[in-house]
Order: sequence, then C-alpha cells, then structure tokens
Amino acid sequence: MAASLARRINRRLQPFGLRLATLPVWLIGLAIALMWAMPFVWMISTSLKFPADVMTVDVEWLPRRATLENYAKVFTEYPVARWFFNSIFVAAVSTGLNIVFGAMAGYALARLRFPGRNFLFFLFIASLMVPTEITVVPLLLAIIKIGWWNSYQALICQPLTYVYSVYIFRQFFLSFPRDLEDAAKMDGASHFLIFWRIAFPLARAPLIAATVIVFTFNWNNFLWPLLAVSDESMKTLPVGIAAFAPVIGTRTQLEGFSLGMAGITILSVPTLLLFFFLQRYFIQGLSSGAVRG
Amino acid sequence: MTATVAAQDRTAPARPRAEADPVDWIGYVFVAFFTVPFLLFNIAPIFFGAYVGFTKWGIFGKPKWVGLQNFTDAFKDEFVAIAFKNTILYGLIIVPCVVVIGFTFALYVNQRWPLSSLARTLFFSPYVVSATVIGLVWVWMFDTQFGLINHYLAYFGIADVPWLTSTNWSLIGVSIASVWWDLGLAFVLFLAALQDVPRDLYEAAEVDGASRWQRLWLVILPQLRPVISLVVTLQMISSLRIFSQVYVMTNGGPASSSSSVIFYMYIEAIFRQHFGYASAVAILLFLMIIVITIVHRLVVRER
Repeated sequence: MAASLARRINRRLQPFGLRLATLPVWLIGLAIALMWAMPFVWMISTSLKFPADVMTVDVEWLPRRATLENYAKVFTEYPVARWFFNSIFVAAVSTGLNIVFGAMAGYALARLRFPGRNFLFFLFIASLMVPTEITVVPLLLAIIKIGWWNSYQALICQPLTYVYSVYIFRQFFLSFPRDLEDAAKMDGASHFLIFWRIAFPLARAPLIAATVIVFTFNWNNFLWPLLAVSDESMKTLPVGIAAFAPVIGTRTQLEGFSLGMAGITILSVPTLLLFFFLQRYFIQGLSSGAVRG
Repeated sequence: MTATVAAQDRTAPARPRAEADPVDWIGYVFVAFFTVPFLLFNIAPIFFGAYVGFTKWGIFGKPKWVGLQNFTDAFKDEFVAIAFKNTILYGLIIVPCVVVIGFTFALYVNQRWPLSSLARTLFFSPYVVSATVIGLVWVWMFDTQFGLINHYLAYFGIADVPWLTSTNWSLIGVSIASVWWDLGLAFVLFLAALQDVPRDLYEAAEVDGASRWQRLWLVILPQLRPVISLVVTLQMISSLRIFSQVYVMTNGGPASSSSSVIFYMYIEAIFRQHFGYASAVAILLFLMIIVITIVHRLVVRER
C-alpha cells in the first residue's frame, strides 16, 4: 500500500526531476535560499519603520506602521543627494573610460602584431597578484603632491587600472572569426576604423558583461574613495553612508537603525537591479574572468 | 567539398603573409590609452610604495631614508602582531566556510530542480552590494539586545551573544558577515565548473551502480580540482586583504580584537600620518600573500 503510494508520488514528481527521497532536500535548499536573502528583507523592513518602532522585543518583519520619513530625512539632513551624484558620476566616467580603453587594448593584444605585446599582457595579469590595498598609500601621497586630493580626478584615476576589461575583450577577439575585419582591411580601412566601426560593435557580450561588472566594482569601491577625498561634498555614497555605522558616527546610537537602513537601501538598489536584470552577463562574465577589483 | 576548398583558399595566402607581416605600429597607440594610466596609477605606486617603506614619511617636511627601521619596528610592534594574527584567523575561518558552503549551494542549484534559478539569484545577490551595506545590516542583525540573530538563538536557549562588542566574538561576527558577502563568486565558479562536467561521466558512474556520495567523491570532485584550487587562492587573497567590513562593523575593536593588517595600515597612514611605516606593513602583508600562494601551489601540485 505504502509502496504503491510512494510509486505514485514518484511518478508525479518525475517531470520536475524530483523523487520522494529528494523532496526534503529540495525544500530545505529553497528555505536556505530564502533565508540567505533575509538580511535584505530586514534592511528594507527596518527602513520603513518609525525610529520608535525599531527596537522591539519581538521581531516584527512587517512594519506595524510604514513610513517614508527615514528616506526623506536621509536626503534632507545629510548630503545623500550629493553623494549619490558623486557615485554615479565617478562610476560612470571611470567605467566608461576603462571599458573603451580596455577594449582597444584587448583588441590590439589579440589582433595586432607588435613587439612587446606578450610582455604587456603578462604584466597586466601579473599585476593581479599585487592587492590594490598595497598601492593606495603611495598613490595617496602622490595625489596629495600633485594637488589632486579631494577631487574627481583622484576618485576616477585609480579605477582606470582594472585589468578585467582588457582580459575579457582580448579573450573575445582571440576566439572571434576575423573575416569581416579582413574584408574591411582589403578595402583599405584603417585599423582604427575597423576597430571602431566593425570589431567593437560586434563585441556585444563582453561589452555588457564588462560594463555591469566594472560598474558594480566602481559603485562599491571603498578604500580608495575613503582615502582620496575627505570633504563631505566630495564623498561617494558607500563612504558617506558608512558614517551611519554606530562605531563611526553617533547618529545611529541616538536614533536607532532605521536611518542607516534607509541609507543602505538607497546604496544597494542600483547594483541589485543591475544584477537582477543582467544576471546572465554577470555570472558568465565572472566565471570566465574570475577577477575581483 | 566546395566548403573545404573555399576554406583552403582563405587560409592559403594568409600563411606566408603572416610571417612577413610588418609590425602594426598603430598597436602601441591602441594599448597606450589603457597602459599609461595603468603604469601611472598601479605599477608606479607599487615601486614608489616599496621606496616609501624604507623612509620616515610624515605629512610635513622631507622624507628621510631610514633603511630597514620600519620593518624592525613592525616586528616589535604588538599591534602589528595582533593584526597579522587576526588576518590569518580571518583567512582560516572565511576560506573553508566559503568553499564548503559555496560548493554545497552550487551542487544544489546544479540539480536543476524547480525554482533553482531563483535560488541561484538569491545565493549570489549579496556579492553585488557594497561593504557598507553588508556592514550596517549585519551590525543591526548582530545587535546584542534587539538583533535578529540573538532573537532566534534565544529559541535554542542561547542568550545574548555580544557578537561585535566583545573581544572574544568580534572577529567571528565580522567573519560571518564576510562569508555572506564573499560566497557569490565561489558559488558561480563552482556552478560553472559543475555544468562543464561531462554528462556521460555521471551516466557511466550510475551504470556502475555508484551511490550519490560515491559519485560525488570519486567522479565529480577529481574533475573539479582545478576550480577548487582557484577558488581557494582567490578567496585566500581576498580574505587576507580584509578591510572595509572591519572598518564599518567594528572599527577594529573592541581593543583591536577584530583589527586586520590593512585596517592597521589605514590607521597608521590616516590617523598617525606614519606613511613610511604604513607602507612597510603593507609590504609585509604582500610578502605573506606571496609565500602563502606559493606554498598552496606546491601542496596542490604535490598531490
């Protein structure tokens, strides 16, 4: 009786690739996956609470009265709008330049023949062995010397060096057929024209992957912006919002966590949305590149 | 037939031409746009930092060459010792957790059961947010009195763990948040590698009557050795560089119990303006990373 029931259930489950024995594993896995995202849910929920409703004896997953007051307060009492602009501006400019320069270098390393080309690629890859943290103090001294401290140039110059984009474009052009480019060369087109009008537009996949990944790194960049600027008006969003941490600022100690949670919700939404919509490029890009910052 | 002829036609003249190909001088222009900032803002600071490490360099006055003094000072500095000890502990806690949990999650998603793409999205999502987000949300969840974690632990009779406010727990608290943050990369690398394991390998093992566990240990894991080694190396380097979580969550405290090497470097550089000393500490960390990476490679090759 029980055996035949089990067989019936197994038949039902088969189209889903499940069996009675694996059913609990599937459910437990899903529960863990949902738990994994709970910090985000808790963050958003707390950001919608009145400060007085935050510290409660029982956990209240849903705010008993919801409010957008924290968001309004974050924008009016702190230069969050300015930090947001700084972050967008710095991340957009440094990502754009890094991608275009990286694509040109990647194209040249894959397609053009000139002495030193292999050494250059070796140098790029070898530099990944040196953590960026090692270079920030000397770079800061240099920046101060040339008067760039507290400037956009300072924030933008360091992320121009991400090797990831060179690597991913070189990889793409190495395996991409060169028929179209050869045809254009026969017609007497210059290398620059071939790259800009033919090769670069064809490299859609690495272009999207590199853009979303490099943009995310730039948006989240922390140590360098922390050192390179100190004026409130020049801070980027991650560095500015970090002042809501109880160990850094006093605000949270006085008012509780609702303001800080509103701040980090604003900070996390752009990259989370980017990831949700362009997930495929993110994951493929990272697993073929395996590079961080 | 015609296709092969056409293919030959296309390749035949290309061969001799390739050998006599003139140098594409324009290539230097192509790489210059990336290479110039790269040399200025990445390579030059490495060498400049090596020089600064041998000097006494404050915010005012001229830098003074002091030879190895910064390094001998560092060996006598008890805070450097604490920072290095903590950094190694971070590595020893975070790396195994990320590898084991990341691999388990990848195995689960790779089953392609219903909703597995939702699980993939959720497992990866913390990786794309900033250290400030990770730090603040975990500070709130680790709150001793009102935090989520202690609230649910109370059901198991565990009362009021001072996650970030006691010297015994702060390093563990920061490590837990770091595992949540870092896991995404390991997870997708494992998942990509699992999807590359040839299907017929599974099927052959199934025919031979291997159990699920035997298949995992004897068939899948040996295939994945390169990617496991890659993940361990990447995660080890990123854990030894730990800074931003520490900065946001504990500021190294209480009493330096969660301080790390890069955090100490930051304090020395920014608050005490000991730029030479800070660079020397950074160089010591870099040397340690190199030694650990080489040892790891040797161990992997041995097997």
